Amino acid sequence: MIAIKDLKKVYNGVTVVNVPHLEISKGESVGLVGNNGAGKTTLFRMMLDLIRPEAGEVLLNGENVAGHENWKSYTASYLDEGFLIDYLTPEEYFYFIGGLHQQSRAHVDDFLSGLTDFFNGEILKKGKYIRDLSKGNQCKVGVASCLLQSPELLMLDEPFANIDPSTQFRLKSLVKDLNKNKGVTTLISSHDLNHITDVCDRILLMEKGRIIKDIATSSSTLNDLQEYFGVGQTATAAVKIDEEENH
Amino acid sequence: MTLTFIRHELKAFWRSKNTGKSIVIRVVMALLILYLLANVLVMGFFLDKILEQVFPKDDLVISFCGIILLYYLFDLFMRLQLQELPTLRVQPYLQLPVKRNSLVRYLAFTALLSVFNLWPFILFLPFVFKIIVADSGSMVAFAFVVSLAGFTVLNNYLALYIKRKANINGWIFLIVAAVIILIGLSDFYWHLISIRNISYLFFGHLITQPALALLPVVLGVVMYYFNFLYLKQNLYLEELGSRKATKYKSSTEYPLLSRFGSVGDLAANEIKLILRNKRSKSALIMGLFFMLYGLIFYKNPQFNNEGYKVFVGMFMTGIFIINYGQFMFSWQASHFDGLLVSKISFTDFLKAKYLLFTIISTGFFVLTIPYVYFGWRTLMIHFVMYLWNIGINTTMVLFFANRNYKRIDLSRGAAFNWEGISGNQWILSLPLMLTPFAIYGPFAVFKHGDIGLALLAVTGLVFILTRGFWIKQLEADFYTKRYTIAEGFRNK
Repeated sequence: MIAIKDLKKVYNGVTVVNVPHLEISKGESVGLVGNNGAGKTTLFRMMLDLIRPEAGEVLLNGENVAGHENWKSYTASYLDEGFLIDYLTPEEYFYFIGGLHQQSRAHVDDFLSGLTDFFNGEILKKGKYIRDLSKGNQCKVGVASCLLQSPELLMLDEPFANIDPSTQFRLKSLVKDLNKNKGVTTLISSHDLNHITDVCDRILLMEKGRIIKDIATSSSTLNDLQEYFGVGQTATAAVKIDEEENH
Repeated sequence: MTLTFIRHELKAFWRSKNTGKSIVIRVVMALLILYLLANVLVMGFFLDKILEQVFPKDDLVISFCGIILLYYLFDLFMRLQLQELPTLRVQPYLQLPVKRNSLVRYLAFTALLSVFNLWPFILFLPFVFKIIVADSGSMVAFAFVVSLAGFTVLNNYLALYIKRKANINGWIFLIVAAVIILIGLSDFYWHLISIRNISYLFFGHLITQPALALLPVVLGVVMYYFNFLYLKQNLYLEELGSRKATKYKSSTEYPLLSRFGSVGDLAANEIKLILRNKRSKSALIMGLFFMLYGLIFYKNPQFNNEGYKVFVGMFMTGIFIINYGQFMFSWQASHFDGLLVSKISFTDFLKAKYLLFTIISTGFFVLTIPYVYFGWRTLMIHFVMYLWNIGINTTMVLFFANRNYKRIDLSRGAAFNWEGISGNQWILSLPLMLTPFAIYGPFAVFKHGDIGLALLAVTGLVFILTRGFWIKQLEADFYTKRYTIAEGFRNK
């Protein structure tokens, strides 16, 4: 489904993404983890043809995303609030997105009624423009509009970051359901290691623009990841203790 | 602490993103204000002469004492409309160990830094020094100065207090404005009361009893204290912001547009963009004001020739295309990424722009129909320019849109907002305004204006009929620039 070849992005002489080779096949659920500045969002943006890579290419279903638009009909993504048309009400936005996929209003209404739990009564018929919603609720609108498009490929950038715990769990089961029962390929980045190992079958670990680990999720994955991210922490913690002793 | 606040405010000013431009604006504003002040100063200097002219029968001092309160009433009315609420961006300080009192004191004191507080002194002090000192001695003159200061401070804080209250409830502003107007009317129109007598009642007694000057000072201090207390009690984020109570926002749809499929949906979205955001809305309202443009020109026989009609007609039917179109795509900067990844072909995106411009220009053309009063040819010229606008100017605007990389924050108002403006707009306006004259001008000079008009109409029509071709060209052009545009729009 996704193939990345020699993809490279350089900002001011610093290589922020450098992925020589990556293949994700149809129906996989992939999690992307890495510290701030590891290049997750930049990678996503290049996969969505939003920024031009210095070198290399991203193929979706064998077709280069740059210069083609077919991928848009089966790819749904939500990276940040910049994806939402913020002066519309959520309903108007959903109708608009539905309309782009030739869905009737009735169909959209029907689909949204299935998301009542996910929305938790905070999105529809509230009489607010999207710009007046909280970040968490904006995220719900973004995710729901992705689901509405019934995509074959779903890309979410840190979807768990702003939403409440209940919604986090609902989102997890939604994504799992899409992946397991409908065969949707999912690509999700997150800082929440618990969630990401729970949802995804395959974890990509990024550091300074490179994918340094590519592992199938097993019972030990969470511990491995915690160790990787924790190593730095204990080191700095040790330094901190030193500081305190110096005082 | 106050010094730190001042330093932070200065930093905020110098480091804000469009400082370069806002300095230009501030210089222009400062020059304007200086000019006004100079005028007022001249007026203040000759106030005795003016008063003699206006009230030839009255004693000079009596008429002077009479107009002071009148001035302050007018002053209050102007302040309510023009004086700005001083806003220190207090949010980052609220949770820090900074005393509330010092925050509030700073907010309240900076309120005195307003040009409004200079005017009464410039206007009245020359008279006080010229006449009052000579008449009644320096003690009385001093009392006048003190009471002027007192009234100024009173007015300053009264206006701010009302404005703060009005921020929470819009009705308060209307009620206060109505009361001031009623007071004015009941003096000058109904002759129920006389503000001049009331004013003389106070200032006349001031001459015999200089100690009375303490009265306005006390009032001023009380008003300051009111402000201080109010601010202190309401130092909460919700109340400081100018956000008013929000209405229920309902969804709307334009059934006519939905017949055009996703092109119609896109155009509908853009209409909502225009109507639901301050800055774009004022571009539209400006356009409506331009509908009066014809009245200014056509009524004046000096301008009532066809060359002016071409010019005015182009503006009236195309002002929106020029005004809104010059910032094209920037309006959608905040969700441009979303548009790029959704299933929208750029052809549809462009078609929607053409549709939008055509709809609005048609609306404006319909509004100019009453100008038929100035002759059928006027209407015909308007129609020719309407064709020109939806044919050529639309395409030109979209061509320049591909070269515009500046983000616009829609939530900000339009007045003195220079965001999103670059050299582009200046370059764009030249061909927009000049090309019709390049075609029409030569014919008009040799008295063949009709041929010129026909040529304009035909060119417009040809462009309308070949839209498909131009859309393809624009699309190809867009694909070479899309990354730059999207990146520019991501830069806040």
